[in-house]
Amino acid sequence: MSCKYEKEEGNNPKPVPKGPENFRLHSAASNLSDNVKSVMEPRTIMYPPKYQKLSQVWLENLDTIDEKKLGLLELHPTVFATNPRIDLIHQNARWQTLYRYVSYAHTKMRFEVAGGGRKPWPQKGLGRARHGSIRSPLFKGGGVIHGPRSPTPHFYMLPFYTRILGLTSTLSVKFAQDDLHVVENLEIPTEEPSYLEELVKSRNWGPSVLFVNVEDIMPRNITVATDVFKHFNLMPVYGLNVYSMLKHDTLVLTRAAVDHIENKIMQHLHKNDTRSVMAKYKVDQA
Amino acid sequence: MSKTTDKALNLMRHLPRVCLANIRDNPGSGKKRSRGRAQHGGDYHGAGNKGSGQRQNFMRLGYETGNNPFYLRFPWEPYYRGHHLRRQYPPLSMLDLQKLIDTNRIDTSKPIDLVAIMNTGLYRLFPDQRQFGVQLTDEGADIFCAKINLEVQWANELVIAAVEKAGGVISTAYYDPHSLQAMVNVKKFFERGVPIPRRMMPPPDAMEYYSDPSKRGYLADPEKISEERLVLAQKFGYSLPKIEDDPNYEMLVEKKDPRQIFYGLHPGWIVNLKDKVILKPQDEELLRYYAS
Repeated sequence: MSCKYEKEEGNNPKPVPKGPENFRLHSAASNLSDNVKSVMEPRTIMYPPKYQKLSQVWLENLDTIDEKKLGLLELHPTVFATNPRIDLIHQNARWQTLYRYVSYAHTKMRFEVAGGGRKPWPQKGLGRARHGSIRSPLFKGGGVIHGPRSPTPHFYMLPFYTRILGLTSTLSVKFAQDDLHVVENLEIPTEEPSYLEELVKSRNWGPSVLFVNVEDIMPRNITVATDVFKHFNLMPVYGLNVYSMLKHDTLVLTRAAVDHIENKIMQHLHKNDTRSVMAKYKVDQA
Repeated sequence: MSKTTDKALNLMRHLPRVCLANIRDNPGSGKKRSRGRAQHGGDYHGAGNKGSGQRQNFMRLGYETGNNPFYLRFPWEPYYRGHHLRRQYPPLSMLDLQKLIDTNRIDTSKPIDLVAIMNTGLYRLFPDQRQFGVQLTDEGADIFCAKINLEVQWANELVIAAVEKAGGVISTAYYDPHSLQAMVNVKKFFERGVPIPRRMMPPPDAMEYYSDPSKRGYLADPEKISEERLVLAQKFGYSLPKIEDDPNYEMLVEKKDPRQIFYGLHPGWIVNLKDKVILKPQDEELLRYYAS
């Protein structure tokens, strides 16, 4: 889309906004026409990019079923239009499933299997192979060598900046695939679940939607409305993670959540005392 | 935005939605497990085949199969004498310092000391390993152009000349390990809630260096230091900039007390970061103890 837009810039200096697609990707504010500038929402950007154009996203509403565009928001390309590293997204998703996974698969070793204390038959004179126990791993029903032992934790820590880049990659993928929407807030007029269902359906937001707010106490109406649906979920911004973003088709962020995410990530990408977070994760072993 | 990123994001628009079912790591990034018998693939467990590797009958350390061993041939190594007591000054080159200044990691409008260098996060110091501060080395002295008030722990003649030629002031100062420990991570030190310690005087063998005006020692006579500044300028053949006429004269001549560790903070004070207050001792005895 950005290619198309940039081509148009040459012969038509004042492109008229038609739909969200025209302005989804990166165009500098200075090149924009006056009526686009008028819909620009004011926003302060931490560490503004020197050589990249800011990305833009429509600010939408939730208080009517039909979509209304309230304005354009500028987003930092380092967070919302960075290189979509599928490998980092994968590593994050894998880590999130594994770090809390404990394998309880268990096999018994020869000393744990009941019986087998007696020598099954004399050492010599029978013409049979010599054996000392019927629970030896050579025997059927005997102990198992190198079998799984319970509990086997699969905890490990992903490097800090792999986690950060996982978030930016996933947000960028969601944004590039039109699966990221920004709303003013999560207030809806009614607590009827059908309202939300209809809204999501009419806006083609995919079956599953993740609503992200800054505060963890959500507005009452949306809490009641999403309660009956397992595929509409609410999440505070501090819980935002790669796995949940991938699990839901659409990500709906409030404007404050966008600010919060962007500030937090830019802070981590620009701080100078990274050594403490990059240090190897130590599991406290008593 | 790089072209690759732009292309990748444009491509994303035409690809199916990225979800848990269609992501994967880069091919070849994982370790492939080779089939083997038993846990270690049926090998010799790293011991090799036969001999001392397998039987673990290694020769004792230093034994050279019948030769007169090295440690007996040269039993006396005087250059290592007292190595565990010597002071170390890990290097920081002038090029590095210039780079830190150019990238706005160090503020030149204030005096620069070890705390300012540590706060960049790009220099590491371990006082418990007998490291006693920064040694400014002369690499990059020819391009050094910052006008600064600098305090380091060790500097040679060329470094001093380079700083003074650029219109700055340099001094060498000693800090004892306790003071250094407070300086390497100031926030951590303040969070401990203990009073700022009194900086100790240099040990006898360092006294000579730190009271030498030609080394710009912090205990040297200021009169003699200004003499030495002229002498050095004549030796290296540059005209000494007049710092008296400098608009930042106050900053350039700012010096710490020999007992002081942090600029603006005196020994005995407690900095409370939580309530943002500084607690100063009132007791007569404490005041006498922390007095310079």
